[in-house]
Amino acid sequence: MSDQQLLAILPHILLTTVILIQMMVIAFARNLRTTVAISVIALILTGLAFIPVYSLIPIMVTPLIVLDGYAIYYSGLILMSSTAVTLMAYDYFKDRGEKQDEFFMLLLFATLGALILVCSSHFASMILGLELLGVSIYTMISYPHKGLLTLEAALKYLILSGVSSTFILFGAALIYAVGGKLGFAELASVALETRDSGEIFLTAGSALIFAGIMFKLSVTPFHMWTPDVYEGAPAPVTAFVATVSKGAIFAITLRLFTSSNLIEVPSILTGLSVVAILSMLVGNLLALRQDNVKRILAYSSIAHLGYLMVAFIAAGMIGGKVLAIEASSYFLFAYFITTLGAFGVVTIVSLPNTEADAGDISNYEGLFWRRPMLAIMFTLTLLSLAGIPLTVGFIGKFYIFTAGVTTTLWLLLSVVIIGSGIGIFYYLRIIFAMTKRTETDVTKIEIPIAGGWVMASVTAAILFFGIYPTPIVNLINNLVLSIT
Amino acid sequence: MSVELFLFYLAATVSLVSTILALTRYNATHALIYLIISLLASAIIFYLVGAPFAAVLEVVIYAGAIMVLFVFVVMILNLGARGDDLEHQWLKPGMWLFPGLLCLILFLEMIYVLSGSSQNLAGTVVTPKEVGIKLYGPYVLAVEIASMLLLAGLIGAYHLGRRYLVDSRKES
Repeated sequence: MSDQQLLAILPHILLTTVILIQMMVIAFARNLRTTVAISVIALILTGLAFIPVYSLIPIMVTPLIVLDGYAIYYSGLILMSSTAVTLMAYDYFKDRGEKQDEFFMLLLFATLGALILVCSSHFASMILGLELLGVSIYTMISYPHKGLLTLEAALKYLILSGVSSTFILFGAALIYAVGGKLGFAELASVALETRDSGEIFLTAGSALIFAGIMFKLSVTPFHMWTPDVYEGAPAPVTAFVATVSKGAIFAITLRLFTSSNLIEVPSILTGLSVVAILSMLVGNLLALRQDNVKRILAYSSIAHLGYLMVAFIAAGMIGGKVLAIEASSYFLFAYFITTLGAFGVVTIVSLPNTEADAGDISNYEGLFWRRPMLAIMFTLTLLSLAGIPLTVGFIGKFYIFTAGVTTTLWLLLSVVIIGSGIGIFYYLRIIFAMTKRTETDVTKIEIPIAGGWVMASVTAAILFFGIYPTPIVNLINNLVLSIT
Repeated sequence: MSVELFLFYLAATVSLVSTILALTRYNATHALIYLIISLLASAIIFYLVGAPFAAVLEVVIYAGAIMVLFVFVVMILNLGARGDDLEHQWLKPGMWLFPGLLCLILFLEMIYVLSGSSQNLAGTVVTPKEVGIKLYGPYVLAVEIASMLLLAGLIGAYHLGRRYLVDSRKES
């Protein structure tokens, strides 16, 4: 490897080094504050290390890793989200007994996996990144000893994530059997040459990879695990699974299928459309009957991934690639900060009760009278999830809509509208619960310093980028569109 | 059908049958024996397609190290006289017939292949040296990422295992 290539993976080397240092610190002097401080500094330094990389892009580092604007944009999203989750997790774990330090190490491991995932250009690094992300998340889900719900969540995630990884591996093997290539860029020529002769293997391989990825992204009909995992996992971990894990996997899927031309296989697009329609409908309809805020957010994330799939399908249509990538990048940004906000509130409300998370909607009754600021923040994030104008969620949905209109996906767009309409009902239900006056004795909610800052910045971002999205749009235009 | 192709299908059948049996056994030890056979069968398949190094790894690491560890753990967990009885029950002579038969098929296949009278299916042989050059050449980052993956798994196992021990001590 040349000096330039080493410089290009400086962020990853830095993060790995800090993980090892952190491990030594934990082994010799266990202190939660120090561990968290190391984590936050590591994440910020890794983010800063992308600045010298910017002058080198695009650059291949061995056939496995490619650093381009797309990778830098998604790495930024991941690092932002991981930092927020670290701060939330500090509040969450600091009063829950000793030996919570390893959690923050695992969080860094998972972040490293996600970073590798978004810049991988080869099946080998993609699968290793997926596994690094997955293995860390299994332990993070079952980290606190909270009985059966946590155990159920961890076990469901372990088995389904393992099975879906096998699907992806098998799909990659079938695609390899056609052309003998594993790099994404090399696959493009294979896909073109063997369009007639090897189509069955290519289609079957792509379908298997998609099935695996759908499991990880939890879109219908592969969504069964989501509500249970969201409910059982500690709230900060849920935030992590919902943002970093899904975002990184979506980013690599988009890269894999746009750079290798596999997305243009027609039968894949038909299958994806069915999946998108189903997850928008099922996600929104099942959320209606839930009384648990974490489960509502789980179904809402299924629906959101459905909206994202519309952009993905648009990327496979003629002339839709550029706009679709732009749309999904913005939508993911909006989804990241909104989801972080929502689970930030769940974390803060869960703090007084160390036995179980505040899932039930009754925990939120009267929040407007007890903690008006927190309630206002939660209202804003919910409105953003619903896609109400002046929030960042609206711009995201608007982008998806534009991408759909440009590629004339009328059926999918009508389902987006129906889904959003149903969505407003259950988001408003939580807001109404918060305005209800309660006479009963309720536990006092303290807003912690770290979590308070996260919530304040997330809310500010939701409003600011909802009114003035230009900075992010410019950023996406400069960085992300370089892969097209 | 050429001899090599026949050998491939034979090994694949053994692999499938033993995997299905491994999944359906009620007894963990019996299941593990079938799992070992399934891994040995995959090793034969690897050899047939011209990857002797992968075949050796499959035997040494999976069948040799990991599975023996599994078997030991399963047996160690059943301590005492009751455990002895159970073990006596498990290791009835009849139990060995079918796994023995499957192993015999694989063994005969191996002898035939090693006697040098056959060619491999792929036409090329990937030597250990080539694997090493690939791993420390273009795939060096994959090795590094895999090491981090193992460390993450180790820390996770350490954390989950530690908690289990503490809790069981409290209860007793």
